[in-house]
Amino acid sequence: MTTRSSAIIIVAMSGALALGACGSDATKTGTAATGTAASDCPTGTLKAEGSSAQKNAIEAAIKSFQTKCSGTTINYAATGSGAGIKQFIAGQVDFGGSDSTLKDDEAASAATTCASPAWHLPMVTGPVGIAYNLPSVSSLVLNADVTAKIFLGQITMWNDPAIAALNSGTTLPATKISVFFRSDESGTTDNFTKYLKAAAGTAWTVESGKKWNGTAGEGKPQNAGVATAAKSVEGGISYMEWSYVTQNKLGLAKIDNGSGPVELTSASVGKMIETATQKGTGNDLSLTLDYATKTPGAYPINLVTYEIVCSKYKDAAKGKLVKSFLTHFVSADVQKSLEALGYAALPSSVSAKITAAVAAIG
Amino acid sequence: MSATSAAETTEATGTPLARLVAARRAAYRADVVTDDPPQLTRGSASRRLTDQVARVVMWASFGLAMVPLVWILGTVVARGYELLLASSWWTLSQRNINAADVGGGAVHAIQGTLIQAAVTAAISVPLGIFTAIHLVEYGRGRLARAVSFMVDILSGVPSIVAALFIYAVWVTTFGFQRIGFAVCLSLVLLMIPVVVRSTEEMLKLVPNGLREGSYALGVPKWITITRIVLPTAFSGIVTGVMLGLARVMGETAPLLILGPYTKSIATNLFDGYMPTLPTMINQDRTEIGLDSAMERMWATALTLILIVLALNLIGRWAARRSSVRR
Repeated sequence: MTTRSSAIIIVAMSGALALGACGSDATKTGTAATGTAASDCPTGTLKAEGSSAQKNAIEAAIKSFQTKCSGTTINYAATGSGAGIKQFIAGQVDFGGSDSTLKDDEAASAATTCASPAWHLPMVTGPVGIAYNLPSVSSLVLNADVTAKIFLGQITMWNDPAIAALNSGTTLPATKISVFFRSDESGTTDNFTKYLKAAAGTAWTVESGKKWNGTAGEGKPQNAGVATAAKSVEGGISYMEWSYVTQNKLGLAKIDNGSGPVELTSASVGKMIETATQKGTGNDLSLTLDYATKTPGAYPINLVTYEIVCSKYKDAAKGKLVKSFLTHFVSADVQKSLEALGYAALPSSVSAKITAAVAAIG
Repeated sequence: MSATSAAETTEATGTPLARLVAARRAAYRADVVTDDPPQLTRGSASRRLTDQVARVVMWASFGLAMVPLVWILGTVVARGYELLLASSWWTLSQRNINAADVGGGAVHAIQGTLIQAAVTAAISVPLGIFTAIHLVEYGRGRLARAVSFMVDILSGVPSIVAALFIYAVWVTTFGFQRIGFAVCLSLVLLMIPVVVRSTEEMLKLVPNGLREGSYALGVPKWITITRIVLPTAFSGIVTGVMLGLARVMGETAPLLILGPYTKSIATNLFDGYMPTLPTMINQDRTEIGLDSAMERMWATALTLILIVLALNLIGRWAARRSSVRR
């Protein structure tokens, strides 16, 4: 009796397994001609973890890479920069993603794990847009000082003389300014307040960080939350990732960085990235961004996320795969495609350096 | 007699295990005792009032307890059923499906969940059943008390603690990678106490007369256990195993810590990431603004519920097939 019924269970269970086993990965796109198994296509699996700011960008790059090289699998877990660095140091992932550079002790531990120095490779730039809702105003210029005062609640009307001074020739309505900020902790807030702290000087009186520390206005969760809120109130203003400004058809403020108004475009973001100074040496491309840049045509509110890699992998096959994937990621086509997701393409001078660094990975 | 049936009713409202015990006890008793339920005479007005009040309170409590269950099931079914109707859900993985893309498949996660559950069961069921046999049939004295005490402690360990324990041993101490097998180890810690406790209760319910009859015929103890005791308690044991399996399949904490998600099919327990249904839910959970991700999350939740339900049904069916016939 017992043997028969356990046989039944075994049959049932293996049946269920077999049912699952007949599935396949193939989300194959009809055209097989999209460069199948090019010479730079190794096979294997990579594990990566880290920053959620670059999640959409790296997922898009992974998708196109896996489509090009069907024998590869790249896993990226968007658990946050801190977790990414920890797992990289612990040797749990093949490369980490981070918004910030490694601290000295972290860099030392990472070098121990890799048995070679770890490199920062800036791969994704994410600009933050200042979005406003004023149907009658098609072009608005702000600078760091005025932006800080608006977001601190010191300027409350759109026709305030301080705003008017930057927008000569534009008729500003006598509408109340409604400020919306992120109620959740976010890299966007961190990035935006870092800019205000660096560029607005004494006008920005509160701490910068992932959490919004201002007291004026109203908090909303996520990019989608602030975008919807700003859209629903005439006179609304908020900061958000670039893609949300365009998706919600909000006005995008130009930023006067001290050398005239700059529109947010891939090119103006690229200019700002080019002004950054390299903090690392050689192929370690960690950057110090100059938020207070006065370079004409440089859009100053940007975030750079890095891939943190070993300069020489213990497992040569892993190194080859990392190299192959990052070469794909930094390529002009992929970088260009990220613009649709609200990221800016890397400027060619920077991507040339990155390409050289990627090629040097062993 | 009425006192016993009242006690049974109270028991029946307890945990699944308590209900199971009560049901089995009643079944054994039904073999021996067959008296009709006692006839109640009309009581005084106050007693009838109390009766009515108690009845209303009971039904109201029942209704209240059903609200969250029906609500959750209704929400999950209503929001998640659409993707399940597509054949691709049952045949494809999420490879190259990003958060903003619609649909994709869940077969990778279903496989992962079933494989991990099977391996967990393969380790913890023998361990649990043998422990229970020891406790009921052999265990006397200090060792048995210690084992019993440890099982009690183990059953009170939160899943996150089990996961962190395995992480500390597997990753921090030995420096291994996070793999599917490590998840299974932490799930084993959670499943063993459930199997031990339920099997123990089932074995205790086997009437001693059966064992004594067997001994009287000169049958050794181990044959008595394998041929008489275990078959008698088999259906109860299977149900207990299914309860344990249902618990570990829906477990999330060990998966978050030890079993990172991957969107591609991965069936190797010893190398690389392994996708499972709970981690698939977690993957889409963060994309609050995206309808495609939300839809997928609900569909995954529904899939997990359906799989646990299916396993329970299989378990019941197997238990019924095998019940000892007179």
